[in-house]
Amino acid sequence: MNTATLHKDTKALGETLLEISILLMVSGASTERVRTTVDRISSRFELTTYILVSQRTIIISIYNDVNECVFNSFKRTLAHTTNFSTVSEISRISWLIVEEKWSVQRIHNELVKLSAIPHYPRLMVLGLTGLAGASFCRLANGGMTDMAFVFLGTFAGLLVRQETSRMRFNPYVCVYFSALCASLVAGCLIRLDPQINHEAAFVTSVLFLIPGIPLINAFSDMIDGNIQNGLIRGLHGFIVSFFIALGLLTSMAIYRF
Amino acid sequence: MEWLLLTEKCIWFGLAAVGFAVLFNVPARTLIAVFIMGALGGIAKIFMMKLGFNIILSSLCGSALIGILSISFAHKKHAPPTIFAIPAVIPMVPGILAYRMMLGLMSLASANRPTMNEQILSDTVHNGLTVMFILMSLAAGVALPMLVTRKESAKQLRFRKPGKRTL
Repeated sequence: MNTATLHKDTKALGETLLEISILLMVSGASTERVRTTVDRISSRFELTTYILVSQRTIIISIYNDVNECVFNSFKRTLAHTTNFSTVSEISRISWLIVEEKWSVQRIHNELVKLSAIPHYPRLMVLGLTGLAGASFCRLANGGMTDMAFVFLGTFAGLLVRQETSRMRFNPYVCVYFSALCASLVAGCLIRLDPQINHEAAFVTSVLFLIPGIPLINAFSDMIDGNIQNGLIRGLHGFIVSFFIALGLLTSMAIYRF
Repeated sequence: MEWLLLTEKCIWFGLAAVGFAVLFNVPARTLIAVFIMGALGGIAKIFMMKLGFNIILSSLCGSALIGILSISFAHKKHAPPTIFAIPAVIPMVPGILAYRMMLGLMSLASANRPTMNEQILSDTVHNGLTVMFILMSLAAGVALPMLVTRKESAKQLRFRKPGKRTL
């Protein structure tokens, strides 16, 4: 293989690795998973990759067997939207790349296919998330009426979140609108039936917004030694929690609880 | 009757986990596994609490069980363990305690005479610390199998005897 082709291939590999790292990062993978996946793929090409992963930017440097830097670039990540199907597929692909010795072109083709992975139908996501909210309510000792209101609140809250995201509102503001809508629906029950304690319904209506992935990834990152990323993820989770609380407080102020 | 109630809670834990799994767009082949893990993890937590352990240790045991199960399911369903574990532990997040902590913080912030709020302060700190420790124990429990076995990837880790047929 001549030098020009080799250079072209390395550049294509570097760009593909950047693409994979960014896809993993925005889809909800921990920093260590991003690093391990990139190491695994570059080992197939007998290259050494050094990667700097931050919440919004990824830098990759690739070195050949004589320790020459053959690729160095960085890319800014897109907005983070959890998609575990992408994480799962990239994990599967990364092992196949090593076991079946895929070419860069084949990896690239598979990445293109990844963007076509279907999401669950919207109504199914709304319905099952509503059911998850109702389950939370039942686990917090809520009754059947509480569960019905939490289902409606969660359904409406998630719908508001999806629509406000589509309208390109700030992600934290989307969380606020969503928490406000969900708690307003569940808060109706307290207004309609003030004799019985419906605290469980009011609280569990916003639990679908809890930042589970940032908080768990924050801990994983910290114990893996990626303290900076862990702190950033933890802080992100804290800000999301703050906006959920703000939504709840606004509906408490509206209903004068 | 007690067992009936536990079984009912089992189903709600499982359904809550599946709801989050769909929200996170996990592959469809993993949904049943997520249901089973959410249900078993939740029931392990409740069972530990019934035995008299506190909520933090019970949550750690529940999430550790989920962490261990996630390795087995990762091999069977060919997906990373975190995909199963994260939706399954979310039903154990203490939402009510977090809400009470927030109410406490608000009443402390809006109080005119802070010296009169010792009870609220104590309750708020207690609720806040409990929430923090539960969240940490959930994350630690999920990570436990990988930490104990010191492997980089779940693919290198199998809870089976050597030589036994694998799926």
